[in-house]
Amino acid sequence: MNNPIIKVTQLVKSYGRHKVLNNISFEINKGETVALIGQNGAGKTTLFSLLCGYLKADSGSMQLLGEQPGSQALFGKVAALPQDAQLDPAFSIGQQLSFYGQLQGLTGREARAETERVLALVDLAAHYHTKAGALSHGMRKRACMAQAFIGSPALILLDEPTAGLDPANALHIRELISDLSQHASFLISSHNIFELERLCNKVLYLQDGQLQQHNAQPNESIAHLSLQLATGKEAAAINSDEVCQQLRQLAGVKEVSAGRNHEYQLSYQPQVVDDFDIRLLQCLAANGWQYKQLSKGKTLEQQLFARKQAATVLS
Amino acid sequence: MSMMLLLRQIVLFSQVELSRLWLTRRGLMTLAATAVVWFFLLRYAIAPASDILQEPNFQKSLTAAFGMLGLHQLLNWPAPELTLYWMLSLILLPILCLAFTANQLSGDAARGTLRFISLRSSRTAIVLGRFCGQLAVQLCLILLSLAATLIISTVRQGSISWQAIEAALLISCHLLIVLMPFTALMTVFSAWARSSRLALSLAIVSLGVVFGLLSWLIYHQPDMAFLLKYMPGAQIWQLIPAQGWQSLQLAALPLAQTAVFLLIAQQILSRRAL
Repeated sequence: MNNPIIKVTQLVKSYGRHKVLNNISFEINKGETVALIGQNGAGKTTLFSLLCGYLKADSGSMQLLGEQPGSQALFGKVAALPQDAQLDPAFSIGQQLSFYGQLQGLTGREARAETERVLALVDLAAHYHTKAGALSHGMRKRACMAQAFIGSPALILLDEPTAGLDPANALHIRELISDLSQHASFLISSHNIFELERLCNKVLYLQDGQLQQHNAQPNESIAHLSLQLATGKEAAAINSDEVCQQLRQLAGVKEVSAGRNHEYQLSYQPQVVDDFDIRLLQCLAANGWQYKQLSKGKTLEQQLFARKQAATVLS
Repeated sequence: MSMMLLLRQIVLFSQVELSRLWLTRRGLMTLAATAVVWFFLLRYAIAPASDILQEPNFQKSLTAAFGMLGLHQLLNWPAPELTLYWMLSLILLPILCLAFTANQLSGDAARGTLRFISLRSSRTAIVLGRFCGQLAVQLCLILLSLAATLIISTVRQGSISWQAIEAALLISCHLLIVLMPFTALMTVFSAWARSSRLALSLAIVSLGVVFGLLSWLIYHQPDMAFLLKYMPGAQIWQLIPAQGWQSLQLAALPLAQTAVFLLIAQQILSRRAL
């Protein structure tokens, strides 16, 4: 039996006449790492704020670990990295994180040790005594993230965790989240589809105040391949129509669609041919086409937005 | 929320506010500014006026002029420096308190720091903790300025009496109680406003408007004059001639006002989007 760590039922939130969240319902189970995706203004941050208890819902119900958001029972069990929230610039980040640890019930000594641990997690161990106001944007972001790891929270909500971080630190944070997801459930909001695709096993897609649930690792009878052909002096001249025609002739292929930059999406029936990818490579070699990238499955971007793009083109 | 957890968190918030006073640049600037203000008051107002207060002719004149109002009781303090400190503080500190305590919650709310805190503490604990923290900070400042006053008195008299120390303790208790409703009032406005400057402006305007409306009401309905007794700081005029620990019986009204303001602040912060 599933044990929902977050249970949201018919949640409604409006700002004035604008209904940001319209009757959304979903559940997140223990151990899941869930992505929250949507366009700007789709209501992601509002949903985060409601789950953290920063805002009150107009109607509907929310339960985190069986408790109302903001409940005392959740102190120390639910952690969050709110968007744009900053630490107090007057105090060192170590002082502030230790204070947060003490608010969670740790003794002064335990809070200091825990602060040193979480600062080390985000590579800020040397900045215990640095004031928040003296840190760079990226370091402040990591310090804010460190506060979300204090104690042993069962649920961690991260709103744009890698926004504003350089690529090396963004990668480090992604690896950190991946490691910690063994011990805690995550709900992560981000515009970085690449990032969410690697971290999450479930997607909540907010669109026009409605929620579309999507499994990032579906078990389907139809398999997908994403192919990008190489172009340039050494590569043969490529005609997209010809490529599509050749690919459609492969056994088991259901659908081939061409995108920009010689990208192709293939849908095929894996039960028809076991070695489809080998046959595909043989087809490319026979035609003198070199591939730049070949990956199994649709990208999350394709899964979420291809239908919308198609609808836009048709209209 | 369990009472033990609430008390523990209030103590933690108070410790943070004391650290802000003693360990941050802004806090040390506040201390320096307070020291400068009190230096000038002690050096150029209290010390010279203490000598005048000691003169028998002045004491006779004061008793003759203000005996009906009980102001001659001021002469009963064990040191004239304490008399002047008492009068100056009762008038000055409530006004300074409004500015000094304006940033209890608004800065943290605007910066988003309250979002981190509210995941670990109830909003009731945040309101009470910040309020108690501000009181602790003000108590520090009162004790420091009283100590300086006692030092001046000791230097002038060549010794210090136990009565003077006891009187200083009584003064610090009274001043803390006088400042409570003003601090709590600023808790209300800082829970509501987006910045400390706006909180201070709202407090000043609100006090002015309420006082103006009451004056207008009393002008047309003299029977309503009793309402003025419920304004914050209304007991100050009764306190000026008060002496001895029994004068703490005047604390009931400011304590009640404080409780009401804190309840309002808690309600505002509980409903506020962070």
